[in-house]
Amino acid sequence: MTELIAFAGLAGGYGDSQVVFNLGASVQAGQALGVFGRNGVGKSTLARLLQGSLQASKGTITLKGQNIASTPPFQRHLLGLGYMPQTAMVFDELTVGENLSIGSKSGLAEAYFEIFPTLAERLKQKAGTMSGGERKILSFVRLMAEDTNIIVLDEPSEGVQPENISRMEQCLLARKKQGSSIILIEQNLTLLRAVADQLLGMDAGKPVLQSTLAQTSRAKMLEVLSI
Amino acid sequence: MTPVFLLNLMWQLSLLAVVTLGLAIIFGQLRIMNMAHGEFVMIGAYAPIITSTLGLPNWMQLPVCIASVALVALILERAIIRHLYGRLFDSLLATWGISILLREMVELAFGRGFQSVPLPISGTVSWIGIDYPAYRSVIIGVIILLFIGLTIWYKRSLVATRIKAMVNNPELAQAVGINTVSLSRRCFVFGCISAGLAGLIIAPTAQISPLMGLDYLIRSFFVVVVGGLGSLEGLAIGVGLIAGSQTLLGALFNQTYGYIFVLVLSILFLWLRPNGIYRNS
Amino acid sequence: MASIVIPSGLLLGTLLLIPSLFGDFTAYQIGLFLIYGIVAQGIGFLWGKTGILPLGQTIFFGSTAYASAHILINIETLGWQLVLMLLSVLIAGAIAYVLATMVFRGKTDSGPYFSLITLALVLIAEQLASTSPNITGGFNGLSGYEPIAQLDPFGNLYYLIVGVTVVSTMLLLALNRLPAGLIARAVSDNEPRLQLLGFATHKIKGLVFAMSAMLAATAGVLFASHQGIVTPTSAGFALSAQFIIWTAVGGRFHVLGPLLGSVVLAWLTAELRDDFIYWEISIAAIFILVVLKSPGGLAEIISIYFKKLVKAQVSEEPSYCAAPNVKSQQPAATLQFDQCHLQVGVVQILKGVTFTTPAQGVVCIIGPNGAGKTSLLNVITGNLLASKGTILLAEKHIHCRPPYAALSSGIGRKLQVPSVFFSMTVGENLTVATLAQRAKWYHYFSAKPLLWRSAYISSLLAHEALPLTHNLAKQVSELPQGHRQFLEFAMTAAAQPRLLLLDEPCAGLSTAETHLMTDLIRQYQTQTKGLVLLIEHDMSIVEALSDKVLVLHQGQVLAFASYVEVKANKDVAAVYAGGTK
Repeated sequence: MTELIAFAGLAGGYGDSQVVFNLGASVQAGQALGVFGRNGVGKSTLARLLQGSLQASKGTITLKGQNIASTPPFQRHLLGLGYMPQTAMVFDELTVGENLSIGSKSGLAEAYFEIFPTLAERLKQKAGTMSGGERKILSFVRLMAEDTNIIVLDEPSEGVQPENISRMEQCLLARKKQGSSIILIEQNLTLLRAVADQLLGMDAGKPVLQSTLAQTSRAKMLEVLSI
Repeated sequence: MTPVFLLNLMWQLSLLAVVTLGLAIIFGQLRIMNMAHGEFVMIGAYAPIITSTLGLPNWMQLPVCIASVALVALILERAIIRHLYGRLFDSLLATWGISILLREMVELAFGRGFQSVPLPISGTVSWIGIDYPAYRSVIIGVIILLFIGLTIWYKRSLVATRIKAMVNNPELAQAVGINTVSLSRRCFVFGCISAGLAGLIIAPTAQISPLMGLDYLIRSFFVVVVGGLGSLEGLAIGVGLIAGSQTLLGALFNQTYGYIFVLVLSILFLWLRPNGIYRNS
Repeated sequence: MASIVIPSGLLLGTLLLIPSLFGDFTAYQIGLFLIYGIVAQGIGFLWGKTGILPLGQTIFFGSTAYASAHILINIETLGWQLVLMLLSVLIAGAIAYVLATMVFRGKTDSGPYFSLITLALVLIAEQLASTSPNITGGFNGLSGYEPIAQLDPFGNLYYLIVGVTVVSTMLLLALNRLPAGLIARAVSDNEPRLQLLGFATHKIKGLVFAMSAMLAATAGVLFASHQGIVTPTSAGFALSAQFIIWTAVGGRFHVLGPLLGSVVLAWLTAELRDDFIYWEISIAAIFILVVLKSPGGLAEIISIYFKKLVKAQVSEEPSYCAAPNVKSQQPAATLQFDQCHLQVGVVQILKGVTFTTPAQGVVCIIGPNGAGKTSLLNVITGNLLASKGTILLAEKHIHCRPPYAALSSGIGRKLQVPSVFFSMTVGENLTVATLAQRAKWYHYFSAKPLLWRSAYISSLLAHEALPLTHNLAKQVSELPQGHRQFLEFAMTAAAQPRLLLLDEPCAGLSTAETHLMTDLIRQYQTQTKGLVLLIEHDMSIVEALSDKVLVLHQGQVLAFASYVEVKANKDVAAVYAGGTK
């Protein structure tokens, strides 16, 4: 199995304040890494370091064997990295249709209209006028329709209705079968445990739990969340 | 409202629209407060002079204009501008210095005195029952077509969508694979080129000197401020208000009062509606 | 005092020597450059402290020059001449004040637009000056008058100019060390924070702009006498541009910088302009370099070398004195939201928020990301305007008041990302916060209020565990995130507002620091018997502190009850983390 994305000794932050320290993991094709922790521990910072909008102060990131420490974000995308941010996850001023067409080649998004029918109804609607949950779904489908095989998702289920969360779960499992690597940041432990093969629990920017799904009970995860 | 007055108004509206277009892109979209905008108009206006100095035939004026403006814009973008996107105040200062530099360089090359170039199309044409200068008539037509084409392009093309995306959410734009650095550069150069083309159009009707750009700078900025940043409709409204009031008052009183009215109008807009008439953010 | 007297004395001494060392003609030239320097000093103070860039100071310079020419032509007695000239300077200041306050009211980022307006004004002024021969003598200008008090420009007028220069220098040096200078710096450092401390920043900008206008106007008065002729170039764009360049290259962060820039560059321009054809281009290039790479200009470079030579004196511990009471302390009151809507662009953020808080206690606001929690605080302080509905504090409408009026209504706010004055020290930050709501206008021109300490801040600093006590002289930009949280909390609470809005005060704090912060919050509420609205993610903090919990979801109130009731609420559990905790 090929390793698609890996990072080691990763540290970074915003200006003077460093937020994450010494994070490392490796994700093979068709595997998923689940990242969890309370609010403010640095999960989103990790996502942005991997995606490239934040420059790491220490450590390495390799994408398909290539060191991408100094690669700009758009180029990481062209190398196959897709990203769904936690906030500002759609282009508010563009329509749903434009949001979908901007990342993907035409036609790929339509495959998802059966699963998420509300999107098909709102193609001409400006993305910013939709509710938070609907915007999350739009961003999720946009990500799924892209031609990328390493996808990083930052709390995709937040504010989304339970039926749609299980649909997201199905899409992610299907992606794994196709050979994509997934890094899933979530507070929703049920979704996390359904998708992830490995788990990384964080607190105050540091890794406090790192092992496989099988070796980590739900109770252990709850402990990390309420330290 | 005599037909001549209406046609003069159309002329002023068209001119102001094409002069402001470049700034609407650079200031409205890229958030660069380009104080050298007038100088790009000025360089474009010097294109006929450059062309004849180089001994080139008259039809080369258009390529010379585009080439000279694009060259200057590209050098400035790579050296200075690309660090300043989104930083309004720093870009104001840096481009203000650039404007002085450009003015001085042109003065060094061509002198400070006024120059003029002949109309490429002379004579008058007869329409709406009166005789109106041919050059102006042709240009009004060309500009109207240009803006119709631009509006269609803006609503349909993928590049336009990408620009809107980049302006709306730069981080997400990069995340979906848009090369924002290169796109910003191309937008900046395009904005400067359109300013230069405006200068080329104006050249036969104006007194060309290194200092001519300041007037266009001020009026363009006020159009963008009044019309609101970031939309073609806002641009249209801004052009309409500014050129309209200046022409009207200029005809009724004198030019200076027209100018003063535009200034007072813009101050009022900044005071009461800092986001312009057309709310877009 | 020494820091004012020594540089001024040196300046005075140097300038007085010039006629004897270099002759009367050089003194005449230097006199003109000093006149320019006074204008530049005004620009430097305005730009360096508040960040406003005036591109058309010759509006003031030129108009008082023209006015002085008229006065010298038409008025006989010296006394009346002086009175009218003073009046022209004051009028310039008044016009500047009105213009600036009009433009800066409302938005905090109008700086670039203001520069544009000054540019347009100077272009108009130049046009008017050339085309109104009746008032300005048109293209040829006004001339044929005697200088003021018949002082010879090649003789004693020089000493008058030197006197005005030294006075202006001393004035600016003094302002730097007074609370007024501190507040002016705060404007460019962090205007939103200054507004939330109750300062009407548009008025401050207006005052500083008026001062720079009056300096330019005074220089204009001297100019008319010095040159003997006033032409449209003195009200023109080219001279305004030169002022900016001289100020920038000389150095806008030091009082003597613009003087240096004006004298050196204007002299070089006069000498080199005809011989060295690339001079103008070189100056433009130097300006761009300075702006991009070395914003402090020559003065900054010189002062760095100076500091290496002269070791910094160890400053003694200042002795603080008690601060006066807060003006208009108000009693605690309920906060009432009634069908409040907020729309930003195309996005509906708050959709009919309705609730009424108790008059006292701690209310924690919780909810998923994007629920509208920070926006809720924004509409309370007026940072965002509610599109519909009302917000009442003590039965009074507060939803349409601007942010700088919040503190006087008794509302203090700590922002989500710690917002303090980054270029100042911890001590200076606390001073600004102490001045808020306590200082009267005259206090800003006296050095004493810099040593004010309120009882509350003293008690805060007395906390052993508080990291601020030992870092008073440290610049905030060097403080870690957690310490900035405590600093901002202290500054927000300094005026003892009856409604304290805290946005994630424990973000980035260690466990021990979190305990301290929660203790401080509880103590604050108990002492002031006021209301604290607190946005938090950490449920243990919510459980420990809250008297009531407000749950927001997608811009609406989902629940408003005690912690126990909210925890048991099924709707809340469903929305929060999809039922995981």
